[in-house]
Amino acid sequence: MNGISMEAGLLLAAILFALGLMGLLMRRNIIFMLVSVEIMLNAAGLAFIVAGMRWAQPDGQVMFIFILTMAAAEVSVGLALILQLYHQLKTLDSDAASRMRG
Amino acid sequence: MVLDDFLHLMPLLILVMGSLITMLVIAVKRYHKIIYIITMLSLIAAFASLFEIGIGEPYHISPLFIVDGFAIFYIGLILLSSLVVAMLSYAYFEQREERKEEYYILHILATLGACVMVISKHFGALFLGLEVLSVSLYGLVAYLRTRERSDEAGIKYLILAAMSSAFLLFGMALVYAMSGSMGFYEIGLYLAASQQVPLILIVGFGLMVVGIGFKLGVVPFHMWTPDVYEGAPAPVTAFIATVSKGGMVAVLIRFFMQTNGFNYPTMILIFTIIAIASMFAGNILALMQNNVKRILAYSSIAHLGYILVAFLAGNAMGIEAVTFYLVAYFITSLGAFGIITLLSDEERDAEQMEDYRGLLWRRPWTAAAFTAMLLSLAGIPLTAGFVGKFFVLAAGVRTELWLLVVMLALNSVIGLYYYIKIVAVMFSQTNVGHERQALHPSAYLVSGGTIALLAILLIYVGVYPAGLMQLIEALIISIYAPVM
Repeated sequence: MNGISMEAGLLLAAILFALGLMGLLMRRNIIFMLVSVEIMLNAAGLAFIVAGMRWAQPDGQVMFIFILTMAAAEVSVGLALILQLYHQLKTLDSDAASRMRG
Repeated sequence: MVLDDFLHLMPLLILVMGSLITMLVIAVKRYHKIIYIITMLSLIAAFASLFEIGIGEPYHISPLFIVDGFAIFYIGLILLSSLVVAMLSYAYFEQREERKEEYYILHILATLGACVMVISKHFGALFLGLEVLSVSLYGLVAYLRTRERSDEAGIKYLILAAMSSAFLLFGMALVYAMSGSMGFYEIGLYLAASQQVPLILIVGFGLMVVGIGFKLGVVPFHMWTPDVYEGAPAPVTAFIATVSKGGMVAVLIRFFMQTNGFNYPTMILIFTIIAIASMFAGNILALMQNNVKRILAYSSIAHLGYILVAFLAGNAMGIEAVTFYLVAYFITSLGAFGIITLLSDEERDAEQMEDYRGLLWRRPWTAAAFTAMLLSLAGIPLTAGFVGKFFVLAAGVRTELWLLVVMLALNSVIGLYYYIKIVAVMFSQTNVGHERQALHPSAYLVSGGTIALLAILLIYVGVYPAGLMQLIEALIISIYAPVM
């Protein structure tokens, strides 16, 4: 893995993160918003691995496994909520689902 | 792990045991009262076990955790608030959801997450605590499945909290990439050693501020607060307002103390802007609301701004003021949301202004307690809120943060208006009295007793703050102890 510099790795992670953020802000479908959040979390995981590689420590990969676990828990709760929301509203459009104002 | 490690982690271990036992008991038989008693017992046992931990030297369970007086105080605060929320929850859920037992598992786990955050001194531990807290909160916010706004609040909180976690994690990764360590103290050493802070590190800290700011619900990361406060069940709202935010404040203080964050003008500038924006946005937006839960949500944004003023003072007095203010704010918020819980009926929470019209004539004691809570939020003398605000102002004046102090005084005046508005509605004469169906009397006794206790505590701390202040001074001092 000597061929890749840390800056390049972090740049890749940053691009992924930005893509996820853009997706989150632009998409109106709640499932796609959830997917975008996952991309952002995985970008953070990638950044941790790159950082761990620079210092030749396992800490980065440990954090990545934590992030994976957490993301899985989050998605399972999220999908359950989306299912519930769909039963009530028959839509996955986040604008239609937003009724609280003020 | 040696025996001493277990002893110092005892409160957390008891909470873990509590949640496991709850889960097993539910598998055998669903019985609300027993689950409730187990929850209460495990919270009380966890609190009692705090007294077993000496507050001498800070105890490192390296490299992740540190148990010191500061941590013990905040864990105690979190456990007591969680206990109060649990006491309020029983009557609330007894009349609503059919499957109410799982609420208590999530409740204990969320408390556990906040406790882990308080004792963390490493990014890994901070992340674990934060996520245990957040994932439990997703479930809690959306717990009342039959109410449509519950789902909406749940999904909004989930997406935004996950996004803020991603920001926090990416920031942590960048900081780690530069400093080569994830412990707070080691990062502080790296910062002190480097002449010029590298750009990537600054970006990393910036991203972390987004994540932390979101959890605290400060401007400009406050968008979720009113919606989640409105949509979540009233006891859960009380939990978010106190335990979740209190845990994050504790982490913020520890992080800044161990990394010497107060020496960096950029950080101070960012937090100054956040504090001023939070005070103004919170108070001005609260003026336009008609929903009591939303008013309290915006007021919580403003109160976090006040707390940041004391936090920015950055010295011993500032940290003590933050802690005192937090205690006063916890008592008040728990009381206010407790009364909303008490007045709510099966279909919806008592959140409209109209629900409170003429409350004084229908239920004089409840109205009196609510008035006391609102006056404390506004910072009227003889209440805990006033003393808290006084300490915050004193800390600001001592360190000559004149801009922040003036803004705080100005905002207190704006804030007074909407608190008094609710009080005025409660005192107005009316003859529309709708009787609510009586719940089991003992359930009301518990909730009512809790509210009465909080009201007495509120006045007591307001009249005689010295006792609490001595306790804070004795315990908080450990945050300055040299860390290894």
